[in-house]
Amino acid sequence: MKTHRHLWAVVAALMLALFVAACGEEKDDSGDGGSASSGGKDCGKVVLNEQAWAGSTANTYIAKNVLEENLGCEVEITKITEIPVFQAMADGKVDAVLEDWQHTDQYAQYIDKAGTVVQGGPLGVKGHIGWFIPKYLMDEHPEFKTWEGLKGKEDLFKTPESGDQGMFLGGDPSYVQKDKQLIEALGLNFKFVTAGAEPAQVARWSQAYKQKKPIIFYWYTPQYLNQEYDLAEVKLPPRTEANKDCKDDAKEGGDPEQYKCEYDVTIINKLFSKKFADSGSPAYDVLKKMKLTNEDQELVAKAIAGDKEDPDDAGADWVKENKDKVDQWLQ
Amino acid sequence: MGAILALMIVGYIVWKNEFSWPASLTWDELPRKLDDAQEWLLEQRTEGSNPFFAVLDGFRAFADWLVTALLNGLEWLTWVGTLAAGTLIVLRFGGWRAALVVFGAFVSFALLGLWEESMQTLALMTAAVLLSLLAGVPVGIVAGRNERFYRAITPILDAMQIVPAFAYLMPVVIVFSVGPAAAVICTLIYAIPPAVRITALGIRGVTAESVEASQALGATSWQTLFKVQLPLARRQLLLALNQTIMFALSLVVIAGLIGGRGLGDVVTNGLYSNPALAVLAGVAIVIMAIALDRATAAIADRTDPARRQLTDEGRRRARNITFGTLGLIALIVLAARALGADAIYPDEFETSATVYDANIQDTVLGWINDALEYIQDPASFIFGITDPVGNFILERMLQPVQNLLMDTPWFLVLGCLTAIAYVLSGQRPAVTAFLMLAAIGIMGVWEPAMDTASQVLVATAIAVVIGIAVGIWAAESPRVEKVLRPILDTLQTLPQLVYIIPFIYLMPVSLVPGVVASVLYAIPVVIRLVTAGIRSVPPAPVEAAQAFGASRRQVLAKVKVPLARDSIMLGVNQGIIMVLSVVVIGGLVGSGALGDMVARGLQRNEFGQGVVASLAILALGIALDRVTQGQRPARTATSRGPLFGGLARRRRQVQPGGGAV
Repeated sequence: MKTHRHLWAVVAALMLALFVAACGEEKDDSGDGGSASSGGKDCGKVVLNEQAWAGSTANTYIAKNVLEENLGCEVEITKITEIPVFQAMADGKVDAVLEDWQHTDQYAQYIDKAGTVVQGGPLGVKGHIGWFIPKYLMDEHPEFKTWEGLKGKEDLFKTPESGDQGMFLGGDPSYVQKDKQLIEALGLNFKFVTAGAEPAQVARWSQAYKQKKPIIFYWYTPQYLNQEYDLAEVKLPPRTEANKDCKDDAKEGGDPEQYKCEYDVTIINKLFSKKFADSGSPAYDVLKKMKLTNEDQELVAKAIAGDKEDPDDAGADWVKENKDKVDQWLQ
Repeated sequence: MGAILALMIVGYIVWKNEFSWPASLTWDELPRKLDDAQEWLLEQRTEGSNPFFAVLDGFRAFADWLVTALLNGLEWLTWVGTLAAGTLIVLRFGGWRAALVVFGAFVSFALLGLWEESMQTLALMTAAVLLSLLAGVPVGIVAGRNERFYRAITPILDAMQIVPAFAYLMPVVIVFSVGPAAAVICTLIYAIPPAVRITALGIRGVTAESVEASQALGATSWQTLFKVQLPLARRQLLLALNQTIMFALSLVVIAGLIGGRGLGDVVTNGLYSNPALAVLAGVAIVIMAIALDRATAAIADRTDPARRQLTDEGRRRARNITFGTLGLIALIVLAARALGADAIYPDEFETSATVYDANIQDTVLGWINDALEYIQDPASFIFGITDPVGNFILERMLQPVQNLLMDTPWFLVLGCLTAIAYVLSGQRPAVTAFLMLAAIGIMGVWEPAMDTASQVLVATAIAVVIGIAVGIWAAESPRVEKVLRPILDTLQTLPQLVYIIPFIYLMPVSLVPGVVASVLYAIPVVIRLVTAGIRSVPPAPVEAAQAFGASRRQVLAKVKVPLARDSIMLGVNQGIIMVLSVVVIGGLVGSGALGDMVARGLQRNEFGQGVVASLAILALGIALDRVTQGQRPARTATSRGPLFGGLARRRRQVQPGGGAV
């Protein structure tokens, strides 16, 4: 019995020690926090949202490096998917999204109506969507430079799942697209096939590419894979004065004829939470001035997704080599 | 049966594509109304004057606080302390085998370089499981004691489990914002039903004699509950805990989409820019699932009072060991803190001279990348096999069934499916099947629903054929079963998005990877049900057959399989439900149809359309369940519940490690 009582006492003492240590720790924490934020201009914490694709990782980590190294901000990165992130900004849980591909429905709801999210101006990266084929195929069939050249040659793209027609590989269903309607309006004998989300779509066409098979698919720039695969674009009917009402997002449905033109250039926007924009944080000014070109973004994205470099290192490298650009944001 | 199918085929040949679901029989207002409802919700939330939201805000704050507190707690223990606490507690209550598994799990999180993410997931799961039990167990108790209440909530539980989380992600985010709270809510919706069901099952399982005896002794209703029913249902309650954990873990990836952080985050984002990392995180999820399963099962087993008759002395000793364990943990935590152990397992160790990598993540990623490279090479040996197999599945299986269901006049499909339900399952199921199919048509999604149905049927057929064969084999050979167990565990807990990656490369035809994913997900259930069914064949008929000189093969074919028919049918039925629950994943890899509509609902802000597609999946699930449920003996009161009637029963045998029993 004696030994037992002894054990009890030891346990009690240890528990007490643990408790005291826990209390002490909390005080330590608050002390540390206070001293860290007292130095220099107060930037505080900035929350950036990274989207799932590599290009977004690239610009997010460039921004992270600039804010941390130059303003002493503490940058947190969240990875919330495209639509819910608007609510996250409205609630002030995310401060900025640096690459938004024109979610006009959400702009209407959150920016125009509720005013909880604000436009941050273009990032400078310009999105371009179109129909692409591998370069080797274009060399073999120069007539594919425009869509007219595809007419009558559709069965070159035949696969088991497209039956007698040629196969057109559609883009990620979550992206803006109108290819089904375009195929119909242009009178092409393609069967529209979706491979699902982008990684699955890439798997499909890159597989064909490696086998040197003919394939035609929805694709876009900037995209780091464009640095790995040699692709060529099939020109679609140009946008002119005559068809200036031509639409890009077939989600709205209706007559295919109204989609019969090439995709318009997509201006990629930065978006900020209203709370962040009003906070007077120096980070806001810098992010607002931040500009990247397609080449900048593809380069860093390739380093991250292609060469598997650490995103922090890839961002830091770019910042080091582009001091002049970064200095303009910091003015 | 034959006649019904012949009628359908004749109809297909004669009226191919002539009668699609008539527009006059469609009510297409629903998506728009749902969109309006979402917009209204957003406005209410933005204005912030609705008192209803104050309550929800309170819950949000609480859930956020709980997850953060748990995470801070784990970090405060330091990684050394967390490792020691987890292992020692399981050692004390679950025995050394389970402790070894838990220890191994923590070590692998560390070595894989995913410690921080794993702890985030662990904190999120703990909070979600606690809240699920808090809500689920009381409801389950009431349901267990009140038949009518149980019947009333069953359809709700079915809907909670089969409506894909993608469909309600956006409203949840509007109400609860992003972050831990939203992730917890989504997990709750999915994890509460098994908690309710298994608890109810446990309470009902307590024999009427025990309850009557206690009432005869003058116990009040509360006393009967707390002194008789709950203690006797102990094993089921622990099984409820175990299953709630497993269900919660399967929502980790979805939680990653809305700021739940942790391993789910790594999976979804890795898919785009670093697939090998996504695979690695998937492996960590499997490890966590298996460790939690083994630990809870072992603890349930070892602490069962029915199994250990303790003397006073023994009880005192046990208590002392418990305190000794706690003391040891406290000592280790204090020592770790005093020696400056990190809150999170570090990326590298520094000595005065050099810096060492603290994990082997890069090496493992290298292996995974090599494997992925090999798979992506169209000249590889394996591609030579998988490519034609994929094409075969597409051309000889998917396309014919798809054509039959989609091009045959709608009224023939509707009529014939109802007739099949009548022949196979009886009158009431046939009526339900008819109503569900009609509802699909009225919602205006007949065509995609038939598309999905054809994929579901093909996937189930493949899963059932392979599952029955392997299941019988496993029942006959314990060694096979032993080898299979970890494989089946992995298939059930690895996020589908992870194991589907290789198949996108190996079988490059849009519809096939989705089918393969469903087959892989459904097969463990079928195998386990078939194995359990054959094992439970009573020895008497088997011995009789042997006495008459039947060979092993004859015993199997003439005695065991016919006697296990019910379990095998249940396997078919559950296989369909499992296949349906991955329809959305199929949508993400090119299966199109309903799954694609649900996924787009979130990604393209087509909320209403997404909800309608989800309802169609639910209706399809109920209809197919009725068509295939067979002339099972009228379901006993304990397992009533249309869709997941057999769920609680089968779960016992099905989930990783076979749960507790």
